[in-house]
Amino acid sequence: MRLALAIAAFVVLIVHGVVFYDQFSYRWERHQIAYLEQARSLSTNPRERAALEERAPHIEQIIVTSFGDTRVDRCVTCHIAADDPRFTGLAEPLKTHPYSAALGDVQRNGRWERRHKFSDFGCTVCHEGQGRGLDTFHGHGEDEFWPEPLLGYVTQPNWRKDFAPHLRGAEYMEAACAQCHTEQDFAGTPHVTRGRKLFYAMNCYGCHKIDGLSEGTLGPDLTEAGKKFKIDYLWESIVEPRANLDTSFMPNFHLGEADVQALVIFLKSRRGVNFAETTLDRYKAHIANVAVVIPPGTAGEKAGQQLLEDRACTACHKLLGRDGGIAPDLSYEGLIRDDAWLMDHFKNPRSRIPDSIMPSFRFPDEDFQRLSAFLGSLKTPPAPPNPAATFKDLCERCHGEKGDGNGKVAWYLDPSPRDFTKQGFMVSKPRERFVTSIKEGVPGTSMPPWGRALKDEQVDGVLSYVLKTFAKIDAPSPKNHNVPDRNPVETSPASLARGEQTFLERCTGCHGRKADGKGPNSLDIFPHPRNLRNSWFVAKVEDRRLFDSILYGVQGTAMPAWIDYGFSKEDAGDIINFIRSFPHASN
Amino acid sequence: MSTAWNTLKELPSNVWSSIFRNPLPSTDLERASTSFTNFFLHIHPVKVHRNTLRPVYTLGLGLISLFLFLILVVTGVLLMFYYVPSTTQAYDRMLDLRGTVAFGIFLRNMHRWSAHGMVAMVFLHMCRVFLTGAYKKPREFNWVIGVLLLLVTLFLSFTGYLLPWDQLAFWAITVGTSIAAYAPLIGKQMQFVLLGDTTVGQEALLRFYVLHVAVLPSVLVLLAAIHFWRIRKDGGLSRPEPREAVPAAPPKPQVYKKVVYGLQGFVRGPFTKVGNVPDDSVYSWPNLLMAELFVFVLTVSVILVVSLLFNAPLEQPVNVMHPPNPAKAPWYFLGLQEMVSYSAFWGGIGIPGFMVGLLLAVPYLDRNPKGVGRWFARERLLANTLFLTLVTLNIIFIIVGTFFRGPNWTFVSPF
Amino acid sequence: MPVDPRLHDNDPDAGQRHIGRRRMLVWLSSVGLFGSAVLAAVSNLVFFKPRVTYSPSARFSIGKPDDFPSGTRISRDVERVCIVREGNRVAAISTTCTHLGCIVSISDTGFACPCHGSRYDQDGNVTGGPAPKPLPWFQVSLAPNGELEIDKNSQVDPGTYLTV
Repeated sequence: MRLALAIAAFVVLIVHGVVFYDQFSYRWERHQIAYLEQARSLSTNPRERAALEERAPHIEQIIVTSFGDTRVDRCVTCHIAADDPRFTGLAEPLKTHPYSAALGDVQRNGRWERRHKFSDFGCTVCHEGQGRGLDTFHGHGEDEFWPEPLLGYVTQPNWRKDFAPHLRGAEYMEAACAQCHTEQDFAGTPHVTRGRKLFYAMNCYGCHKIDGLSEGTLGPDLTEAGKKFKIDYLWESIVEPRANLDTSFMPNFHLGEADVQALVIFLKSRRGVNFAETTLDRYKAHIANVAVVIPPGTAGEKAGQQLLEDRACTACHKLLGRDGGIAPDLSYEGLIRDDAWLMDHFKNPRSRIPDSIMPSFRFPDEDFQRLSAFLGSLKTPPAPPNPAATFKDLCERCHGEKGDGNGKVAWYLDPSPRDFTKQGFMVSKPRERFVTSIKEGVPGTSMPPWGRALKDEQVDGVLSYVLKTFAKIDAPSPKNHNVPDRNPVETSPASLARGEQTFLERCTGCHGRKADGKGPNSLDIFPHPRNLRNSWFVAKVEDRRLFDSILYGVQGTAMPAWIDYGFSKEDAGDIINFIRSFPHASN
Repeated sequence: MSTAWNTLKELPSNVWSSIFRNPLPSTDLERASTSFTNFFLHIHPVKVHRNTLRPVYTLGLGLISLFLFLILVVTGVLLMFYYVPSTTQAYDRMLDLRGTVAFGIFLRNMHRWSAHGMVAMVFLHMCRVFLTGAYKKPREFNWVIGVLLLLVTLFLSFTGYLLPWDQLAFWAITVGTSIAAYAPLIGKQMQFVLLGDTTVGQEALLRFYVLHVAVLPSVLVLLAAIHFWRIRKDGGLSRPEPREAVPAAPPKPQVYKKVVYGLQGFVRGPFTKVGNVPDDSVYSWPNLLMAELFVFVLTVSVILVVSLLFNAPLEQPVNVMHPPNPAKAPWYFLGLQEMVSYSAFWGGIGIPGFMVGLLLAVPYLDRNPKGVGRWFARERLLANTLFLTLVTLNIIFIIVGTFFRGPNWTFVSPF
Repeated sequence: MPVDPRLHDNDPDAGQRHIGRRRMLVWLSSVGLFGSAVLAAVSNLVFFKPRVTYSPSARFSIGKPDDFPSGTRISRDVERVCIVREGNRVAAISTTCTHLGCIVSISDTGFACPCHGSRYDQDGNVTGGPAPKPLPWFQVSLAPNGELEIDKNSQVDPGTYLTV
């Protein structure tokens, strides 16, 4: 035991020694000593030299209270030469902080004077990073747990490797400048200005709210995006909208790198408040009528076309030679939609297409009228030479070049465009139904009434083309089921109650508790379950078809034949009454 | 005049001899009495049984737990000189402890690793006591105090976990106190009193701080003192029954007139056992003391080395809007959290409550006097098996909760 | 029964050969433990002395020499210092009253303390009231960036000016 104790005592002594030594060798001390030596050799004044000789290294800090919470910036412990003009040529950390006219610094009597004095601003207000840290890992924010790494100089190790190279560059610091310099087109923050212009040009403002700038409600509020998120997250959210949320319907705008960078810098500058603001400024910005805060230069146009271009509708839609690749082609809009439809749709797209993702823009009524008038004037019919060309020109955009419902804009449409390659579906419906769908459109969906733009032979031709090429059938051969043409069950409160009961018990798994097609199983089913609240759609469908779908299912989809589960005609009739009792979707 | 001068001349030796009043021992009796006559040392008996010193028997686990607690108290008090329990200042103070305070990062590491170590050692000590059957009569109540000490240790660790006020701390405690709210009838009230508010915030931080630095350490010291006292009064650490015949019963004390002093029944302890047990013992000084000193030095060395090599975590500053996914309780509660993911009441309150109840009741349910003082005695096969099964299950749950659970508490592979 | 020398220390014949080795081990242990204790104690003392405080720094910059026109005395209450500029010479006088610590104000004849009526002349010498000592002067130096820097940790003799 004594031997063991002796050995243990020896070991503990060694360990104590290691601990003691470990806590006494700091890099910042070495930096300061190097600085003091260098400063002594550069000194011309013996009194100054003596003072430098006496000075021992210790932690230097700047305490800043004018910018929100108290900041303690210890950067100057290593970067001790930051305000010493004699060190401009040396390597970091003993390097003078650059002077620049762009930062507001002026030259007087041959020497530079800083506009943003370190004693007033500290360092982290502009550079971010961790003021209290005393080594590079913590001080520069390389620690992935620190929310504010050095802007533009540091990428944290857990950032995606494909983004990290784009996230370096001193221009990212403009996001910090904009905390005080919020003026539009401020010369010192060109990237913020560009980002703000893009925010309007790409219609981000239609979906996203930024206090004082916009009022969109479809996407997350970005008022404090710069405070909440790091730049890698902002970059990722723009170039891969679904990276963090599978069900996001934010379009991928396929922007160039410079544009993405400008948007990231602009968003990073959104902190919810800027330090140069008064409470009154902030309040005024908050309650401002945003419809008139669109950048100047776009107000006062007379022609709707001008409006359309300035409202950047082509950021999503196709028109006049430009194509955003996200929304339907508007080239024939005057033919296929009437004025009432256009005005309703402009004011609130969901009043006509309940699951549309088009933002509700709060323009003044006269703007809507001008836009409707312009679109209403597009009455030149298409002139495709043959059915294949018809398909390519008008149908492919949604239904895809393989007819499988995977067109360029298909992802953004709800309900999704029909997949013609589903033979089971195509063969089971009467031809007349397809003809009607093409000629009269499918109300409540993005399928327009092409009959107003195409002649009957063209309609027939393209339908035959579709059936032959994609469904690989010559003609559909629907089964003749024994279903009533009209609902025999009377619409009574009892019937509605029964229908609701059955619905809640059997249908909500796919169609959802609110019958909006968003049941828990819906994400995994293609095509998605029907939104039964889409009353435009439901109103157009005859009872016969509803009976057929409920009792005998819909081939090529996940809708089962409920007659196999014991449904009777009366059960189906009750459900149909229930569905038809929903309030109209235009409200 | 000369008496004044004499007084001054004799001052140093008078001071010395007033403090150290006894001469160096010259006989064996005097040597033996050192343990008996010193304030600090008389926590030990003059002589201890041989078994007490065998490392393989106790593994020194209780001692290690005690020394870890001492390290925690010392490092904790030192840390108190720089820490502020305010939601706006706590995290910044942790940054300063890490960055600028001399030895700050080291002391914090020591505190954190000792804390985790103490929870583990206390648990292992409980296992050792169970598996050697050392809770049996007359040591039942000491076992109960031990279980209470375990609970106090867990609570100490839990309250301390919140103090860094980073994402890890905040959400771990949010999860932990939400589990507590599932207790029937009193759960929500308990949570409200514990947090001082409906959610974790400044009130919770302050309450947890006070509990952690003042209330719980005092309770623990008190219970530990009783725990040690009981060891003495129960005749020392448990050991195998003597193979020789049990010695004659001690002589009956003289019978006085029968007066009943009711309250005294609560506080009166047993008489000493000197002369009543076979003498298979060795002197505490130096044998026991050296063994304890060795364990102490070992514990300190291990903690120092671990603190040199591994840094205690400090994650993002608290963001009440943004829980991490997944949000995990501290490791000793992860078994609970795993169970809670199946059933909130049964996993959080029912089963743990039942297990604690069982632990408390074990010495009163197991009245078989055989198998004391030996590891894995055959007579105790059933008890040991049951115990080890429950322990293993608990450890499995903790492992699953730590490594095999990812975002949204779905199963993930750690490889 | 043989006697195990480790168990019964009161057997004088046993373990004589062990004693020397034992003593050395004890000595080694003591060195180790005592050394560790000393290191630990020193570490604690170092720990206790703060390396940073959160109060304003003792050495601070007050601006360019040009900010202080010749013949002016400008008082900075936050830093508790009065900058005196005469011609091209600059000095800094403390404005903390040496009596009980109130902030003195500049008066026509020097400084006056509102708390207990201490009076000082232009150079900080006591001319009346309960103040026991004159107002100290602080070292003023010219920092590399061209600004004036005051160091309240270095007191200089009254009458010491920096020439700019």
